[in-house]
Amino acid sequence: MAETETKLISFTLNGQKLSVPAGTLVIEAAKQAGIEVPSFCYYPGLALQAACRMCLVEVEKQRKLATACTLVAEDGMVVHADTPAVHKARKDMLEFVLTNHPLDCPVCDKGGECELQDMTFTYGIDHSRFIEEKLHYPEEKWSPIVFYDAPRCILCFRCVRVCDEGMDVKALGVGARGVTSVIIPNESGQLACEECGMCIDICPVGALTSGTYRYQTRPWEMKYFGTACAHCSNGCKTTLSIRNNEILRANNRDHSGINGEFLCAKGRFGYDFTTNAERIRQPLVRKGGTLQPASWEDAIEEIARRLKQAHDTHGAAAMGVIGSNHITNEESYLLNRFARTTLGTNNIDHHRTADYAGLATALGSKAKDSMATMAQIEGASAIVLIANDATQQNPLVAWQIRAAVRHHAAHLYIIHAGPLKLQRQAAQSVDVPAGAEGRAVGWLATGSGDLGGKITGELEKFKEALAKEKDVVILFGANVRGAAVRNLVKFGSGLSGQTRYMSLGDYSNSRGAADMGVFPDRLPGYAPLSDANERGRWGKLWGKEIPPKPGVNARQMMQAALEGKLKALYVVGANPLKTFGVKAPDKIAGLDLLVVQDMFMTETAQRADVILPAASTYEKDGTLTNTAGEIQMVRRAVDAQGPRSDFDLLRILIHQLAQLGLGAAMKHRTPEAVLEEIRQNVRGYDVSIAGLLTGGTEQATSAPAAADGSYDVAADLVFSSQDDLFTSGTLGRYCSKLNSTKESKERPWSSSPTTQSWWSR
Amino acid sequence: MQVPAQLDAKFNQLVGRYPVKRSALIPMMMYAQDEFGHLSDEILDEIARRLGLNMTEVTETLSYYSMLHRKPIGKNHVQVCTNTSCQLRGGFETLAHVEKRLGIGNRQTTPNGIFSLEEVECMGACSGAPAMQVNYDFYENLTPEKVDTILDQFAAGKRPAPVPVISGSLHEPAPGENRVISQRFGVRDSRTLKVYRDLEGYQALEKALKEMTADQIIDEVKKSSLRGRGGAGFPTGMKWSFVPKNSPKPKYVVANADESEPGTSKDRPLMEMDPHALIEGSVIAGKAIGSNQGYIYVRGEYRYILDILDVAIEEAYKAGYLGKNILGTGFDFELCTHTGAGAYECGEETALLDSLEGKRGYPRIKPPFPAVAGLYQCPTVVNNVETLSTVPLIIRKGGDWYASLGVPKNGGTRLYSISGHVNRPGIYELPLGFNLNRIINEVAGGVANGKKLKAVLPGGTSCPLLKADECDVAMDYDSVAKIGSMLGSGGLVVMDEDTCMVDVARRIAHFYAHESCGWCIPCREGTAWLRKLLDRFHEGGGRQEDIPLIDEVSQNILGNTLCALGDAAALPTMSIVRKWRGEFEDHLRGKCLHKPADVLTVAH
Repeated sequence: MAETETKLISFTLNGQKLSVPAGTLVIEAAKQAGIEVPSFCYYPGLALQAACRMCLVEVEKQRKLATACTLVAEDGMVVHADTPAVHKARKDMLEFVLTNHPLDCPVCDKGGECELQDMTFTYGIDHSRFIEEKLHYPEEKWSPIVFYDAPRCILCFRCVRVCDEGMDVKALGVGARGVTSVIIPNESGQLACEECGMCIDICPVGALTSGTYRYQTRPWEMKYFGTACAHCSNGCKTTLSIRNNEILRANNRDHSGINGEFLCAKGRFGYDFTTNAERIRQPLVRKGGTLQPASWEDAIEEIARRLKQAHDTHGAAAMGVIGSNHITNEESYLLNRFARTTLGTNNIDHHRTADYAGLATALGSKAKDSMATMAQIEGASAIVLIANDATQQNPLVAWQIRAAVRHHAAHLYIIHAGPLKLQRQAAQSVDVPAGAEGRAVGWLATGSGDLGGKITGELEKFKEALAKEKDVVILFGANVRGAAVRNLVKFGSGLSGQTRYMSLGDYSNSRGAADMGVFPDRLPGYAPLSDANERGRWGKLWGKEIPPKPGVNARQMMQAALEGKLKALYVVGANPLKTFGVKAPDKIAGLDLLVVQDMFMTETAQRADVILPAASTYEKDGTLTNTAGEIQMVRRAVDAQGPRSDFDLLRILIHQLAQLGLGAAMKHRTPEAVLEEIRQNVRGYDVSIAGLLTGGTEQATSAPAAADGSYDVAADLVFSSQDDLFTSGTLGRYCSKLNSTKESKERPWSSSPTTQSWWSR
Repeated sequence: MQVPAQLDAKFNQLVGRYPVKRSALIPMMMYAQDEFGHLSDEILDEIARRLGLNMTEVTETLSYYSMLHRKPIGKNHVQVCTNTSCQLRGGFETLAHVEKRLGIGNRQTTPNGIFSLEEVECMGACSGAPAMQVNYDFYENLTPEKVDTILDQFAAGKRPAPVPVISGSLHEPAPGENRVISQRFGVRDSRTLKVYRDLEGYQALEKALKEMTADQIIDEVKKSSLRGRGGAGFPTGMKWSFVPKNSPKPKYVVANADESEPGTSKDRPLMEMDPHALIEGSVIAGKAIGSNQGYIYVRGEYRYILDILDVAIEEAYKAGYLGKNILGTGFDFELCTHTGAGAYECGEETALLDSLEGKRGYPRIKPPFPAVAGLYQCPTVVNNVETLSTVPLIIRKGGDWYASLGVPKNGGTRLYSISGHVNRPGIYELPLGFNLNRIINEVAGGVANGKKLKAVLPGGTSCPLLKADECDVAMDYDSVAKIGSMLGSGGLVVMDEDTCMVDVARRIAHFYAHESCGWCIPCREGTAWLRKLLDRFHEGGGRQEDIPLIDEVSQNILGNTLCALGDAAALPTMSIVRKWRGEFEDHLRGKCLHKPADVLTVAH
C-alpha cells in the first residue's frame, strides 16, 4: 500500500509536547509517550465504545472530562491525565465497577492476571462504600471451553466486538438492559461458533473463562513460553503456560507474534497431544511379528545395521525417505543430508500441501520482493484468494483478510469452488467447479480455456476490476499448482504496483520442508538437482557426492514399496499410508525395513519394524517457516518424557551409519549450529538471527537462481488434507480438548437449566 | 412458519419501508407480539429469516425493550404507572388496588390468563394521573371505583372506552395562555385533513415549497429563535444548518415522538389532535435540509397515536402533501411512522437512531453528530414533535412574529403538561418567559386542597427540583438555567408540602435505574446503586453517612457518562438531598412524611 504523507500535529499531554499524526487518539498518543491512560473497553483495532469511562482526562477549555479513547488529538490541545480530577474519576469509575463485581479474586481464575485487579491496585480505593446486595447470577457453560460468569462481567464489550468485527462470527451479543445487562451466546444459551476462544483471552476480568484451563493453577505458578503453534501453516505465536513440566494452557499473552492477538481453536486448545495417553514413549522393535519395547541403544543399532544391510544388498536406489510437514527446518535439513549423503539416494519427498516449489520456480530472482508476509495481507489494497477456504484452513490468513477489508477498505476477490464465509467480505467472487481453479487462473493469464459462458463472463469482470487495483496480494491453495502457478505469476506480473504471492499449505512446517529441499529433484532453497554446480556445492558441504539422478516421488515410493522395488523406507513425522491412500498397507510389510519416527501409533507406524518415539514441536528447539516464508523459533517448553527430538535421532543415526561407512559424520550437535549452516547455505535463508532470537520472524524467500519455465508437477503430488478449524491431520486425532469442542458441535450437550431464564423476559 | 395473512402483509409493508431491512425488526416484533401475545422462538426465527439476521442480533434487540415479551402474558395487560406524576396522585395505591383486585403481583398473570399486571414507568398520561394502560388503551384520573369498572368490563370480554385524548387538554384558555400551536385542540375532527386545511393547514408548505429556498426556510427558523422542545433546547435553525449541503448521501428527517420524560405528556395531544401539523412540519424540514425521507419514531406505548398518524399520513399522501412531486413543485418527500418498544433512552437522539436501525437503543459517541452521520450514517435531523409542529406556524407567519411571542433568544410559546398537586392539571400553551409562580397559581389553579407548595420539577424528572421560594422565575431556558435548573421538556410537576422528598428521590432513582441502557459504567452501576441506597434509606435502613453518599454517588455519575441520562439521574437526586436534607435527617429518626395518597382528595 502506498504510504500517504500524514500531517503531524502537536499537542500537550501532562505538560509534555507530543507530535503525532493527525487523527491520532489521545489514548494512543499517551501510550506511545509512555503515559498510561487506563481503559477496559478501548481495544486497538476494535470499534470505539467510550463505555468504561476509565480513560477520562481533562482537556483545557472543556467543561467536562473527556474520554481519551474517543478524543482525537488536535493542534494546540492541552490534555492532563494526571490531575486530581482525573485521578478521582478513575477511582470513582472503579468504585462503580466494583459495586456489583464479586470480590472473589481468591477463587477467580483470572486472579493474578486480571486487569480490574491491577487497576484497582493502581488507581482504586481500599474500601467500598457499597453495602447493598450485589447482583448474582449462576455461572453458565456455553461450550466445553467457554464459561460465563455474569456478575464478574464489567461489560466492556471486547468479546462481542472481537467475535463480530475480528472473527465475523457474531456469536456473542448483549442481552437485557441497564445493570442487568449480560453477554449472551447465540444458540439459546450455547455457543455455536468457531470456538476460537478469542473472547476468553480478550476478557479483562474473569467473566469468560476457559473450560480447558480453569481451576487448575494460578498464573504466578506457571512459566510462559512463546513459541510457534504446532498445527497449521500460518505460524501463529502461542504462549504455552507451563507448570511442573506440563502445558496447562495455550493463549496469546503478549501479542508479539505475527498473529497479534489472534489465535484459533487449534493454537489455543490443541496442545494436549503432548500428554496424550497414546503417546509412544519408548523405542519399539518388531520381534516375532510384534512391536516390543527396546532400549534406545538396541533400537538405533538395529536400524543402522539393517539400513546398512539393505543399502549394501539392494543399492541406494532401493532406499526411500519420507519427510514431514511438522518437523523443524533443522530436522528437515538434516533428513535431506541423511537421504542424499548417508543413504546416497534422491528418493526423498514429503506430502506437499501447496506448490511452494512451483511458486519459487516461477518467481526465480523476483522471489525476494514478491512473497507476501502475513502483515502484507492486511496492508494490501486488494487481495485475491484462489482455491482455499482460508477461514477453515488458514485462520490467520482469514483474520488478516478481514482486517484489511475492515480497517483499510481493501477489496477481496475470490475464485473458489462452492460457498465461502469470506465471500461476505468479497468485492467479487467467482464460483468454479472443484478442480477447475487452475483453469480459471489460466484463463486470467491467457484468455483461453473452456470454463463455460457464465464463469468466463464473471472472470472477465474479475479481471477488469483487478486491472484497476494496485499492489495486489494473491493467495492460493493446493489446487493451483504446476503450470497454473506459472500462469498466476504471469497474470500477477501484469498488474500494476508490486504484486505479492502466498502459497497456502496445510501444516506448521509445510513450507519449511519445501524450502529445505525435501524433494526428489530439488536441493535446499529449491536448487535444481539437475544443476551440477548445486550438487557439487551441497555434496561438498555434506561430505559426500550427491547422486545426479533424480529420485522417485512419494507416490512412486509407495508404489515401489508395494511392488517390492523399494527395500527400506525411513519415515519421519508423517503417515504416508494414510496420506497417500495406500490400498494394500499390509503389503508394505514386504519392505526389508520400515522405520518410523513419530509421536503416535499412526497407520504407518503400526507396520513399522522399528519405531523411534519423537518429541513434539513444543518439546524441542529449532525453527519453523510458515506458509508466508516467515521463520520463527520454537522453544522447548516442556521436556519430552522419553521421546527424543527428530534432530537428535537423525544426528545419532548419521553418526552410527558413518561409523558403518555410510555417509560422513556431522560436526553439528545443536539445532542452532545447523541453523547457522542453513543461513549460510540455503538461498533465501540468510536472515537476521537477532530477529529470530528476540521472538520475531524473518521472511525467507527461497527460490532458484533463475525462473524455470518448464517446471511442472504431477497433479496428485500437491494436495491439501482439507483440514478445518478442528482437525489437524494425524496430530489432530490426539488433541482431546480440541476434539471435545468438535464433538460438542456435532452433539450439543444440554446447557445448565438456569441458562437464559434470568435475562429473557 | 406460516404467518397469518394480515401479519404477513404488515411484515411485507414494514420491510419495504426502510433502505436497511433490519430497521423493521422492532416494529415486526411489536406487531407479531400483538398477534400472538408473546414472541415465540418460531416467530423470532421467521422474523430473523426475513431480515437476514442471526438470533444473536434479534435477541440483543428484543431483550433491550421493556414492552417485548418472550413468554406468554395475560390477554389483557394491565400496566399501572407509578412514576412521579402518578406517584403524587396515587399511582402506588392504584397499583396496590389492582393487585388486590386481580390477586396477582407485579409481572404476574392470573391463572385464567385474562389479566397480567405490570408496574410501568411514565406512560405520558401525566396530566391525567393516576393512569394505567390496558394493552394500548389509556385510562386516566383513576379511582378505585373506576379501576373496578374497567377491570370488570375487561373480565367480561368487553373493551371499556379509553380516554379519547389526554386528560386536561380540553379546556377554556387559562389566564395568560396563548394558543398558537394548540389552536386546533378541541376543534371537532381537528385531526382530519379537511379541518386542518380549513384552519390554515398546509399553507406553510405551499409557501415553503413554492416561494422559499432551503436557506430561506432555515433563516426563518433561525429568526424565530425556536429551540428544541424535547428538553435540551438546542436552536432548531442552527441544527438544520449543520446538515452538509453537498453530501452525496441521502438525508433524513426524524421526528422524535418518543415522549417519555416523566411528567411530560405534551406531544401526545399534539399528535392526537393535530397530526397534520407534524406532517407539514416534517416536509418543510425535509425541504430545508434536502431530505426526501422522514420517519416519525413513536414510543411503543402510543400505539393508538401511531394509528392516528398513519391515517393522517395516508390522507396527506392522497392529497399530494407527501410523496412524489409535492404540490407540483418537483419536491419528493416520503414519511412513515415507526414504533418503539419501551425504552426511555430512545428519546436520546442518537439512541433513537440506533433503535430506528433495529438495534439496542445505545447512545452513540459524538462527534459525529447526526447532522453529519445519523440514520444509516447519513446526515439526519432529529427534532421533537412539538418543534416540528411549530415550524408551519413560523413559515406562515414569519420568524420575527414567532420570536416576538416569547422573550429574546427564547422565541415563541411552548406546551406545558402540568401535573402533580395542582387544582387543574392539564396541557397549557404559554409564551416563553412566563413566570413559574403564575403558572402554578393562575394557570393551573394553584396547589390542590389549599396546601402549600414545596417543590417543582420545571421540566421533567431530569431537572434539578426547585424549592417554593425559587419559583418566582421566568420560564425561559436562560432564566431557569441561572437558578440551577433546566426548562427541560415542559413537564411541570408540582409537589405540595406533604410530599415526602425522600420518596420522590427514591422513585426517580427507580426510573433511571430501569431506563439506564447499561452501556457506560457510571450510569449503569451508579443508577442501580442509587436505587438500592434510596430504597434502603426510605424503608428506614438509612445511616447518617448515606446522606452525603447519595450526593457523592450522584456527583460521580454527573458529567462522566456517555449520554445525558446519567446527568438526568444525578441532577434531581442531588437537588433533593441538598435542598431537603432535613427530610433525610428526619428519616434517620423514623419520621417520614409519606402516607398513602388519598386519590379522592385531589379534585379533577
